[in-house]
Formats: sequence, structure tokens, C-alpha cells
Amino acid sequence: MGLPLFSAHNDPGPSFFHYAEGSGLANASAHGSAESPHATTVIAVRYNAGVVMVADRQATGFYIASRDVRKIEAADRFTAIAISGTAARGIEFIKMAQLSFEHYEKMTDSSLSLEGKANYLSPIIQRNNLSTPLIVLPLLAGWDPSHQIGRLFEYDGAGGCYERFDFATIGSGSPFAESALRLGFRSDLDREAALELGALALYEAGDNDPATGGPDFVRDLFPMMVTITEAGFQELAGAEVGARFRSINDRRTQSGGVAGGTLR
Amino acid sequence: MTNYFYVSPEQLIKDRAEFAQKGIARGRSMVAAIYDIGVLLVAENPSASLNKISEVYDRIAFAGVGKYNEFDRLREAGIRWADGTGFTYSREDVDARALANYYAQHLGDMFTEGQKPLEVEILVAQLGSKFRPTKLYRVAYEGTISDEARFAVLGGDAETIRERFAASEEVIHPLKETLKNAVNALAGPERNIPTADLEVGILEDRGNRRTFLRLDDAQVSELLS
Repeated sequence: MGLPLFSAHNDPGPSFFHYAEGSGLANASAHGSAESPHATTVIAVRYNAGVVMVADRQATGFYIASRDVRKIEAADRFTAIAISGTAARGIEFIKMAQLSFEHYEKMTDSSLSLEGKANYLSPIIQRNNLSTPLIVLPLLAGWDPSHQIGRLFEYDGAGGCYERFDFATIGSGSPFAESALRLGFRSDLDREAALELGALALYEAGDNDPATGGPDFVRDLFPMMVTITEAGFQELAGAEVGARFRSINDRRTQSGGVAGGTLR
Repeated sequence: MTNYFYVSPEQLIKDRAEFAQKGIARGRSMVAAIYDIGVLLVAENPSASLNKISEVYDRIAFAGVGKYNEFDRLREAGIRWADGTGFTYSREDVDARALANYYAQHLGDMFTEGQKPLEVEILVAQLGSKFRPTKLYRVAYEGTISDEARFAVLGGDAETIRERFAASEEVIHPLKETLKNAVNALAGPERNIPTADLEVGILEDRGNRRTFLRLDDAQVSELLS
């Protein structure tokens, strides 16, 4: 790879995606299909100091391909990206997003706004999803330093970007997670309540959707839980997440496998 | 009918070198120096937004002197090259020496084949790691590349500044002393450079993947006090 110099009229500017696509580093419009495992349920909930995200750890093909996949990654200090859909494209998508935000920052000596990041991803998703059956659907959540709030963006299959002010879910376990969220969401959730609701919603998805991995007490593998706040992207320790799911599991055991009248 | 006059290759090279040197001498100089735990880049730059120093990659920084539009394009190409290489292979495969070589080839090509030589000098600094040493690569306008052991001075007044800095930096110091010495060397005995006219960046391990840090006026004043 030589020195990527461009003349002013065809310079890709600070966009890594456009450079990578133009120079053939990234194959943005691969056609055809192949078997690749799928990543499933991710939940994001807005609360009074930021956003909580919860994701299961399972990648599913015809069988369980992996039990410890990370579906949420920090795109930069204040932004998290979560993926559902084809694992292969999802991982590439996260890498592209991380690199693009950092590339922009280095090229221009300033960070993209959170809305700028959300919009930047739209055409990348559109290009992928309209050219191949290897669909990938992400969620973007972040702390917006210029407005001092946590914000949440979801995408449709064609790349449409929608800001959500309550919660969002992606993946095959969504219907179950969404039901729990619809019952339990309040606009004044604090951190603890948001984490609890997120965990409950994921538990529901893991309980009902065969492609979503719930808490795995045998291997001590638990869903990923993160918060994105003024302090940035923070991942909860495995032990803390484990304790949370163990207590949900105990309550469910007591009430015969169902919530037992209240969301708990 | 057009008349072509014979110009000897020696004369041609001399003219081009003179042209490039004159262009570079119009701008202010910069100093790059290795300090006990990092690399310091300090440039005299009255503009607060048209930078001479930039982050390139996790452990690589760029500095340019001379014509802004020319070295800024090289800076952008360097960031693209580094991000592209890291994307294709792995982050640890991005090497400052390879980038400095590309700069040297490009500047060399422009010097001999271009319409005019580029009026720039480039520095590529690398903070050492398990895999690579801490290095300063200096690339001159005609493509000469040199690997500087402890510090490098770029710009029109490089010789004088180099002598002043070498006299004060016989051993490797902590950041505070190195910055003071670098600023004194840039200023000379008769001058005092205001903090606002200094652009300072460092490469230093702070527990993060990215090691580049741009120091603001307050941080620079604090270090110089």
C-alpha cells in the first residue's frame, strides 16, 4: 500500500469509509450469501444519567457457534455500538465505525458530534443491507457532551436512522425483550432501575428465543452490561452481572418459571 | 521556434534545492526530542488552528514545517496510510519507519520529477513498545531520510537551533526540562516566545492505546514555569 495522496477534487476527506471503499480496502458491496452465525439480542434503555445496554453472548448458526461473543463495543470514549444480524458483517461494521470516528478526529483535530456519528453510519448500513442478504442491524448509544444527555439511535434495514427517547431492542429476541421494556419503562429511571429492567428484558429474551443466550450458570458466562454516561463507556464486572441474573433466576424459580404477577 | 538552453544536472539540482530551502526558511522551526518516558514535539506556530503537529497512530506522531498546504496533505496521507494498514493487518503492524520511507520516496520523486520541489520538511516520531524502538525520522525536502538518536530540529534556522539545543540537552531529561530547553533553543537568547505561539504535542504512555496528547496553553505554561 503506497502513500494515499489525492488531488483536491477526489480527496475522500476525513471519512475513512469512503477512503477504504475507494481504495478497495473494504468491500462495501459484496453480493451473494454465505452461512455466517447470527448475533441476537441487544437492549438499550435511556435513564436519567445516560444509557444502559445489555446484550446476550451467543452467536447462532445451525447450532451454537459461540457462547462468549461481545456484541457491544465502545466506538470511542463516549459512544457504544451494538450489533445484531450476521456476525461477520457486524464485527467488520464495528471495526469500521471505531476506525472512522478516530480517523475523523485525527484528520480534523475535532470529534464528530453524536448525531454526526449516527448519521455517518446510515449509508454504510444501507449499502450493506441492500446489496447482500448478510444483514447487519446496529444500535448506537452515547453520551452527547454538547447537550449533556445520553442519546440512543436505532436503524432500520434500509439504513434509516431514528433517535429513540425511551428504549430500543435489536435481534431475534426483540419481541420478548420489548414486551418487558414496554411494561417496565418509566421516563425517570435511575441507573439501578435501568440496569434491573435491562437485565429482566434480556432474561425474557433468553428464556423464549432459541437464538438468544441467557445467563449461563454452568460456564459462568453472563450477558454484557454497560453504561454510557458523562464518565464514558463502562462495562459492569462479570461478578456483578452474575449476581443480578442469579437473583432474577432465583425469583423465577420461586414463582414457577414466570414473573409471578409483577415485573421482577 | 523555441530555444532550449542547456542546464547541467548539477545546476538544476542546486536551483531546486535553493528554491525549497528558501520556502522552508520562510516558516518557523520545530524541535522534536526524546525525554525520559516519551517523545516531545514543539513548534513555533502563531496559528492556533493550522497545526504543524498531529497524531497519526497509536504510537506515531507527525510534524511538518514549511508550506502548510503541502505538509498538511502529507499528514493526511500518513493518517490514511496508518489507519488503512492497521485495518488490513493489525494495529501492531503499523510502523513509523515504513511511513517515513513513503514520505522520503514521495519527496524525492517531487524533488527530481515534480513541477517544483515540495517546500517542506517532515518528522515522523514513534514511541517505543515491545515490538519497536522509540525513533525520530526526519525527512528533508529532497527525500533524504535520517534516523535521529535523541532529537531533531526542522526548519530554516535548524543549524543554530540544533547547536543551542544540543548544548542544553547532553543527557535525556524529564518532559519539563526538555520542553524548557526546546523552547529556549527555538527562541534564542534575544527572544521570548509567548505560550500562545507554541504548539506542543507529546507521545507518552498513559495506560491508553492512544499515546498522543496535545498540550493546551495552560499545560504548557505550567510546564514552563
